[in-house]
Amino acid sequence: MSRILGIDLGTTNSLIAAMENGAPRVIADPATGETLLESVVAIAPDGAVHVGSSAIEMEPHLSVEKNGRVSAVGFPGGEYGAVIRSVKRYMGLGGGEVAPEDRSRYTFADLSGPVVRFQIGKRTFTPPQISAEILKALKERAERALNEKVERVVITVPAYFNDGQRQATKDAGRLAGLEVVRLVNEPTAASLAYGLNKTAEGNVAVYDLGGGTFDISILSIKEGIFEVLATNGDTHLGGDDIDNALVDLLLAELPEQLKHDRHVWNSARRVAEDAKKRLSEAADVDLALELPGHPIRKKLTRAELEKIAQPLVERTLKRCKLALGDARLAAKDVSAIVLVGGATRMPIVRERVAQLFGRESLCSINPDEVVALGAAVQASVLMGTQGDMLLLDVVPLSLGIETMGGVMERLIHRNTTIPTSVTENFTTAVDKQTHVDIHVLQGERELAGDCRSLARFKLGPIEPQPAGLPRIAVTFLIDANGILNVSARDERTGREHSLDVKPSYGLNDEEIERMLEEAIDLGEQDLEQRLLITARNDAEQILVALRKQLGEFPRLIDSRERAQLEEVAERLEVARQKDDRQLISKLVEDLNELSTPFAGRIMNVAIKQALEKKSVEELS
Amino acid sequence: MIECPSCGRRQEPRLVCQDCGAPVGADLDCFAALGLPRKLVIDSSALERVYHDLSRKIHPDRFAQSSPRVRTASLHSTALLTRGYRTLRDPVARGLYWLELNGEKLADNNKSVPPDLAELVFEVQDELAELRGDGAASEYRDRAVRRRAELEAATNALNGDLTANFARWDAGAADAKTLAAELKSTLSKIAYLRTLLRDVDRELENLKAA
Repeated sequence: MSRILGIDLGTTNSLIAAMENGAPRVIADPATGETLLESVVAIAPDGAVHVGSSAIEMEPHLSVEKNGRVSAVGFPGGEYGAVIRSVKRYMGLGGGEVAPEDRSRYTFADLSGPVVRFQIGKRTFTPPQISAEILKALKERAERALNEKVERVVITVPAYFNDGQRQATKDAGRLAGLEVVRLVNEPTAASLAYGLNKTAEGNVAVYDLGGGTFDISILSIKEGIFEVLATNGDTHLGGDDIDNALVDLLLAELPEQLKHDRHVWNSARRVAEDAKKRLSEAADVDLALELPGHPIRKKLTRAELEKIAQPLVERTLKRCKLALGDARLAAKDVSAIVLVGGATRMPIVRERVAQLFGRESLCSINPDEVVALGAAVQASVLMGTQGDMLLLDVVPLSLGIETMGGVMERLIHRNTTIPTSVTENFTTAVDKQTHVDIHVLQGERELAGDCRSLARFKLGPIEPQPAGLPRIAVTFLIDANGILNVSARDERTGREHSLDVKPSYGLNDEEIERMLEEAIDLGEQDLEQRLLITARNDAEQILVALRKQLGEFPRLIDSRERAQLEEVAERLEVARQKDDRQLISKLVEDLNELSTPFAGRIMNVAIKQALEKKSVEELS
Repeated sequence: MIECPSCGRRQEPRLVCQDCGAPVGADLDCFAALGLPRKLVIDSSALERVYHDLSRKIHPDRFAQSSPRVRTASLHSTALLTRGYRTLRDPVARGLYWLELNGEKLADNNKSVPPDLAELVFEVQDELAELRGDGAASEYRDRAVRRRAELEAATNALNGDLTANFARWDAGAADAKTLAAELKSTLSKIAYLRTLLRDVDRELENLKAA
């Protein structure tokens, strides 16, 4: 069986990681060296799909025409493409559940059905389909880097994701041709990365402020057992919200209609995001946004940014206190704090978190990478190669059923360790009743109407009997992924009932099958074919570069080294014309390694020349 | 008798197979799931150790690459183990479960106020109403804080009663009917005090937010 890899499918960035020699490592794109893949998907008018930086290049941006008009340009020659960011905010939501601020960002086909659908040209796409494109890009990146098939993965999700959001993430994996062996909560994954080398032990709080979501988890780490005591969070609170508030500030003086222009907004968001990042280091920054007739110039100080961020940070601290209460711990009982997510780089976040817990946080592992690294550790636990390490996670939200009068009866409480199950007996209310309807809910509110509908199913057919006589035991089981499974058994006959559980939101099996058949990318080639093309391109690149260097710097290489290089280059030239991808990749690697000393010498010369040139300029 | 899905050994229902140590998937009560005798006095750190050791043996993460039958047994057994641990860890949950095992339960969702708590309950409700009406008055707030400490002390005392009752069950110090009545009365009072504490906390929290 192939090995299992770890994926952090983030709101802003996504990563893939693997264990190597007992340590988790993020896999970089062999062509670019990039480890982060921006979670941005562009679908061009012709159906071609771009992911990451090439998708960002497609993003419509503002262009000023000669007559002074501002217009948006994006996909060359077409208006039907779309660039989708932060698709995670839409995962697992029914149309009616999309947050008001997320409704105006894209064109939706339907905001009333059980699944959100983006309208792109004449076609519609669900969030799992878009996420699947990100997963495919990561899979392909890892396959190129590792030279092996990637079939099985662990994917991380926000701890506070509900059943529907988790199911949607699994669906995305399936659509990407991956077996999702396990969903792991992001903060828990981070604790695995820190706990692996015992950096964190005892009671540990993981504070995870990402682009779109906030999670806090409190764990007890003891002798390799990572036991989550409590988790809390907000799936719609993150660094994005700070960016959005900055955009409002930036556009405050614009005329209303410009303010709501999607392209103006997107451009302003980029400026805002950049300013926020720079203010982690600088005390103040200059903001500039070129809109003809309305040039915007502003100075933003760190104090102003902090005033904007303050209420959001307070909201996260409130969640922290709730989690501590559920874990029955005081802030002082926490012996280590782990920070996760890019937004925790903001000084105000660090200060306020340190104040709450009365100690400084751990941040020795890159907060952008720690979740993916933890996912790789969990993958190795699942492969049985991580000794005694074991993760005991919890379900973030209570699960129950609707009872008479529309009241939610809690069957499984939030923060119960998973897997867990509860069996409930059902009977009939009237004579000869043949079916019992059951409505499953998730949430913490008292009334069914205030909780999230999870699924509905019918028990039956039940043999006609007097009311109250039938006894049907229904088992609600939450598996280690935090996903509900239901089974039923007739207590009198001992017979298993088959159940047709209809999820209230999300995709059903037939829809996923259909999506699998009609892949998004109309021009998509078979993966092997694509990998071969990439390998050939890599080969051509290195051959061209090498010939150029040999021509320009003949004196930097001796004849023996030259002969060696030319021999391997010759073999690569021959392999490039054929179909053996593995051989091509191996030769590219060999040639790369062999030419490293030569490239180093060229670099030295170039630096020396640049320095000399500079000193000449300074003299004159 | 039940068959181990991993090695095929037939045995009495247990959590882990006596031969190969893999999850068997049998239905078990909370005590049996943790391999404990039916005794009410339980050492919490020993309980945690047993829970961790058994989790290491049967958790689904250990069987991610096994056959579907073994995976189902692992899932089922771990769910039972978790339920058992959570029930036995908390003395109140343990007491309620014990009543259930003895065919008893707290009267009708515990709706009637225990007589010796009635006066206290009404007093606290009145105080909270005053606090809601005039949260700015520091005398009301101070009184609520004092009340909170008092309720906590009372709960601790009742927890002591609970422990004493557990020991009497284990020693067979009285007949089951008497002990069950005692247990019910204590649990019912604890439940009420917990509700009151939560109400006081909520009001104090509201004050802080405002």
